[in-house]
Amino acid sequence: MSNKIENLLNRFAEAAEQPKRQLDAHIAAGKKVIGCYPYYAPEELVHATGMVPMGLWGKPGSPNKAKEYFASFYCSLVQMNLEMALSGELDQLSGVIHSTLCDTLRPGSQNFRIAIEQIPMIFLAHPQNRKPDYGKEYTRVIYTKILNQLEDIAGRKASPEDLAKAIRVFNRSRKARREFVKLAGQHPELVTAVQRSQVLKSTFFMEKSEHTAWLEELNQLLAAAPAVDWPGVKIVTSGIIADSPELLGIFDDLKIAIVADDIAHESRAIRIDAAEDKDPMEALAEQFAEQDQDPLLYDPAINSRPPHIVEMVRQSGAQGVVVLMMTFCDPEEMEYPSLMKGLKEANIPLLKIGYDHQIKDFGQARTSLEAFADVLSMRA
Amino acid sequence: MSEIAGTAVSRKYSMGVDIGSTASKCIIMAEGKEIVAKSLIDVGAGTSGPDRVIAAVLKDSGLKLEDMTHIMSTGYGRHSLEIAHSEMSELSCHARGAYFQHPAVRTIIDIGGQDAKVMRIDENGILENFVMNDKCAAGTGRFLDVMARVLEVKLDDLEKLSAESQNEVRISSTCTVFAESEVISQLARNTHKRDIIKGIHRAVASRVGALARRIGLVDDVMMTGGVALNDGVRLALEEELEHDIFTTELAQYNGALGAALFAWQRSKKKEI
Repeated sequence: MSNKIENLLNRFAEAAEQPKRQLDAHIAAGKKVIGCYPYYAPEELVHATGMVPMGLWGKPGSPNKAKEYFASFYCSLVQMNLEMALSGELDQLSGVIHSTLCDTLRPGSQNFRIAIEQIPMIFLAHPQNRKPDYGKEYTRVIYTKILNQLEDIAGRKASPEDLAKAIRVFNRSRKARREFVKLAGQHPELVTAVQRSQVLKSTFFMEKSEHTAWLEELNQLLAAAPAVDWPGVKIVTSGIIADSPELLGIFDDLKIAIVADDIAHESRAIRIDAAEDKDPMEALAEQFAEQDQDPLLYDPAINSRPPHIVEMVRQSGAQGVVVLMMTFCDPEEMEYPSLMKGLKEANIPLLKIGYDHQIKDFGQARTSLEAFADVLSMRA
Repeated sequence: MSEIAGTAVSRKYSMGVDIGSTASKCIIMAEGKEIVAKSLIDVGAGTSGPDRVIAAVLKDSGLKLEDMTHIMSTGYGRHSLEIAHSEMSELSCHARGAYFQHPAVRTIIDIGGQDAKVMRIDENGILENFVMNDKCAAGTGRFLDVMARVLEVKLDDLEKLSAESQNEVRISSTCTVFAESEVISQLARNTHKRDIIKGIHRAVASRVGALARRIGLVDDVMMTGGVALNDGVRLALEEELEHDIFTTELAQYNGALGAALFAWQRSKKKEI
C-alpha cells in the first residue's frame, strides 16, 4: 500500500514542480488556458467555458524586469507573476484573471495591463461588503461580466448546465482536498510536509477532474492506513503561501507535522463550496459571500479569525502555530497582532517566520523551527 | 585517556562548540559543572574558526577529543561540524547556558553577529518562548560593524566614545543601509562621532527593545552575545526597556556553555 501512496505522491510532485509541462500538455490537447491570480478567482467560470484555469502564485526567484514596475517593498508573489509575464513564460495563456483584493494586487493589475499587451487581462473586483444582498448582487454582476469576457476568449457560450457542471467538478475537488488535508495530518509518517504541499499545489496546474481522481485514490489509501504514533510535534501553518520544498524539508527534518493549515494557497481557498441546487451565478456569488476568517476579506465581526485558528489547533491536535509571514503583505501583517493576542490567551505557542519567493537560504528559519520544536516538546 | 598536570584523566568531559556567523566559541566542561577550558576565535561559520577554537581548548586543557564523552555543536554553522555527536539550536543552548550562570534569569537578550533574539525561560531553565529578528542586519552586531567602518573607529572603541557623548543624535533603527547614509550625512555636517555613536547604540536598543517587548520582559534580564560586551548598547537597552539588564564575563560563550551542558546531559542519558 505504501508503494501505491508513494507512486501517487510522486505524480503530484511532478505536476506541482513542472507547471510548464502541464501548460504545454493543456495546449497540446487543444485547450485554451486562463491564468488566475489569487485570491478567490471564480475558476468555475473558466471551466464552464471549456478552458483550463491555472493558478498564478509566483515562482521562486528574484524579479528583474518587473522591478521597473514596482517599488522594492512589494509583494514577491505579484512581482514574480509580472516577471513571468514579462519574460514570455505566460505567452501561451489566452487570458489572465487579475484579482484586486489587496492594495498590492490593485495597482499590480494596472501595471499588468500596461506592461503585458499580448495577454488579455480580465479585471476581477470583488466587493468588500460581500455579505449583504447588494454585495452578493454586485459579485453576481462582476462574475457575469467576467463570464462574458471568458466566453469571448473561448469562442463559445457557457450554458447554465455547463456552469452547474463546473460547480460540481470544483465542489468535488474541494471536498477531496479538505479530506486530504485531514488525512495528511493524521498520517505525517506517510505524507511529508513537502509532499503535502505538492498535492495541494498541483491542483492549480492540472485539470480538476484528473487531479480529483488521483486525490480520491490517495485519500482512500490514507484512510485505510493504520494509525501510527508520531514521534515529533504537530503544528498548524498560517499565511499566504508556503510551497518552498527547501523550507518544508526543514519541517520534515525536524519531524514537525503540519496537521491543518490557514494558508491562502492551501485550505483558505477550499473551505466553502458553491450550492448545487441554485442558479449557478447566484451560487458562486453566495459562495464568495460566505468566505470568512481571511485577512484579505473585510470582517464585519472584527477579529473572528483568531478564535477560528484556536479552534483549528484544538480540533487537529496541534501543539502550536507557525505563521509564514509573506514579506510586505499588509493584510497579513495588520491582522498578526490580533492573532498573536488570541493565541496567547489560548496558551498556544506561536512562531512567525518571514517568507517570500526570493528567500533561498532558510538557515534562520531552521534555527527558529528547531527551537520551536524544542519548546513544543518540552510542553508536551 | 590523557593527562592534566600529570594526573591521569578520570573525570568525564563534554564539549560545546558554538559556530556563529562572525565568531567561533568552544567550551570544555567537567561533569557538567565546571569550565575546564574556553576559547574564542573571531571568525565563524565556513572559516578555519571552528577547527582553531577546538584546537585551542584542547591545548589549554591538555585533553584530547577522545576524552570527550559527547560533543555538541550549536550556532549558525552547527551543521558543518563533523566531529559533533549531536547539534542543537542556539536558542535552546542560550537558555541552558544563561540558567547555569544565573538561575534567577527569566529573559535573555542575545545580540550576535547577524541576528538578535530574545528568549524567555521558566524556573527550570527550559525555553518557554522566543522571538528572533527578521532577516535584516538592523539591531545586530553587523549593524555596529558597518557603522564602525563608516565612522573609521575600532569596534572596541564604540563603548568608550559613546560614554563621552554630550549631544546624542537620532539615527534610524529601521534599516542598516538607511542608517549608514544618515551617519554619512551627520559626518558631512561635522557632527561629533561620539554623538553619532550614542545615536547608533540607541538605534540598536530601539530595534532589539521592540523584539523584547513583543515577548514581554520578566526579571532577571541577562544580555549575551558579542554585543553584550559593549556597555553602551547595554545601557541604552536598559533605558529603552526600563529594566535592569546584566551581563557576565561569559556573555559570548553562553551558547557554547549551554551546548557543553546539553552534551554532558546526553552522555549521561546514554550511560543510563
